[in-house]
Amino acid sequence: MTALIEARELSKQYGKQVALDRVNFTVETGRIVGLIGPNGAGKTSALRAILGLTSYQGQLRVLGREPFSNRAALMRDACFIADVAVMPPWIRVDQAIDFVAAIHPRFRRERAADLLAKTQIGGNRRIRELSKGMKTQVHLALTMAIDAKLLVLDEPTLGLDILARRSFYDALVNDYMDETRTIVITTHQVEEVENLLTDVVFIDRGRIALDCSIEDIAARYAAVAVTEDRAAAAREAAPFYERRTLGKTVLYFENPDVARLKALGEVSTPSVADLFVAKLSRSAA
Amino acid sequence: MNTFVWLVRREFWENRAIWIMPAVIGIVLMLAALFGRVHLDFPVVTPDQNRVVGGTVLFAFGVIFFLVMSIYSSWYLLDCLYADRKDRSILFWKSLPITDTATVLAKLFTGLIAIPAVYFAAADATTLLVSFILSVRTPSTLGAALWQPDLWLQLQALWTYLIITTAIWYLPFAGWLLLVSAYARRAVMLLSVAVPLALYLLERWFFGTHVVGSAISERAVGYAPHAFRDMSGHAGWVTTIIDNNAITAPRSVWQLLDPAAFLASGATWAGVLVGALFILGAVQLRLRRAEA
Repeated sequence: MTALIEARELSKQYGKQVALDRVNFTVETGRIVGLIGPNGAGKTSALRAILGLTSYQGQLRVLGREPFSNRAALMRDACFIADVAVMPPWIRVDQAIDFVAAIHPRFRRERAADLLAKTQIGGNRRIRELSKGMKTQVHLALTMAIDAKLLVLDEPTLGLDILARRSFYDALVNDYMDETRTIVITTHQVEEVENLLTDVVFIDRGRIALDCSIEDIAARYAAVAVTEDRAAAAREAAPFYERRTLGKTVLYFENPDVARLKALGEVSTPSVADLFVAKLSRSAA
Repeated sequence: MNTFVWLVRREFWENRAIWIMPAVIGIVLMLAALFGRVHLDFPVVTPDQNRVVGGTVLFAFGVIFFLVMSIYSSWYLLDCLYADRKDRSILFWKSLPITDTATVLAKLFTGLIAIPAVYFAAADATTLLVSFILSVRTPSTLGAALWQPDLWLQLQALWTYLIITTAIWYLPFAGWLLLVSAYARRAVMLLSVAVPLALYLLERWFFGTHVVGSAISERAVGYAPHAFRDMSGHAGWVTTIIDNNAITAPRSVWQLLDPAAFLASGATWAGVLVGALFILGAVQLRLRRAEA
């Protein structure tokens, strides 16, 4: 496997404020990586660096290139949707298709037309006349018609209703993703993307809090729900986080001794959302 | 090259005023020629009279278009890099394989060459239509004056010369507007004026000198003396009596244009250098700024 994105000691500062603090991570081909963190954690800074939109300190290689000085070349193989509302409001849908078709060597016009035909958005409509969900459909159709190796999505469904969000992710998984492609998604709505990710990277206050594939979560993390009388015994097994629910205490463990936990209560693999809360609450404490 | 053409086309899609405004001016002038009062009760007979009257009328239309174009084009350059940061569509454009240098140069080209060319075409079409209308309405005075092929050729030459030489001479102004457009987070117009004004005042208070002020004013008013031959003695001009007034006018445009002196002047190339630096700065800002 080749690393599609490789970051070493990646840092980004805005004045005195540190957005990214010597971060290391790699993204391999064929993965769908969720870059997850609270607002202001550094997700967008990381994506901006990957896409060549901002300068940074440290080492960064995306598709073998240094992104900031090669953004235009990088965009032949990578594309991104940086939140939904960035299509120019004045452009007509057919103009947008004409323009991208003329500019982008990997754009397949028929595919964009097919995707748009399903949406019943006329080519003569201007973007400003469309609803937010329709704007997303247009942008997604344009983007999915590009044969890119890397697709980056920054809070792609912000402000969309549940139907539009669901169809956005369905289209992504069913019509777009295959083993040659790689997707990086940032979001703070973890539940929404949980089922489509292959890897998660938690980012908090400019640092990586977790970098793990979904398969490895089951091996590395366990949650055990115990009754009140066994909570003290469970705490001796060194949980990194606990919370109370409905008369039970749920404790979270890293590299757990599963046999020992099973004796205490009901053991489960934490969901990405739960793990996120557990990991980031600890670092907040 | 293909990319560049599409980038300029995109500017025409976004800024429909580029062609709507000259079209409106053309229509208004045409309506004025059709229904306005045309009152010329003096005879225009001699070749000199024909030349002066015809030249004045034909060039007057060009002047209207040129003035509006200068204002619009300045506004365009000031707005073009700011507009897509303001509506955040810069993130869409940056997701395409287009360098920031190409983007900035396409906008510069649009402001300095493409927009003036559109106004030139509109001025020509309007002048043609209006000349036709006027010569039909007042055949005794303007019938012959407006249809001198040589005069029309001069008109084309003057426009072409104006577009190229103003683009070169005013490159520092254009570059400055682009730089402000790439930099400003709001109030582009205010910033474009406030910074030179502040520099001018600070220099005056602290050093008592006027380097900035005179550089700007010499650039602003220095165009005509640099691009056109000095004919203050009226040598080779023609004086003719029209309606009991003596009117002196250049015999032709050819004797006014002075491209060799314009291109040989140090001031021309000093301006190009300053303009190029501003444009480089605009490209660097465009690389780094993704938001307003």
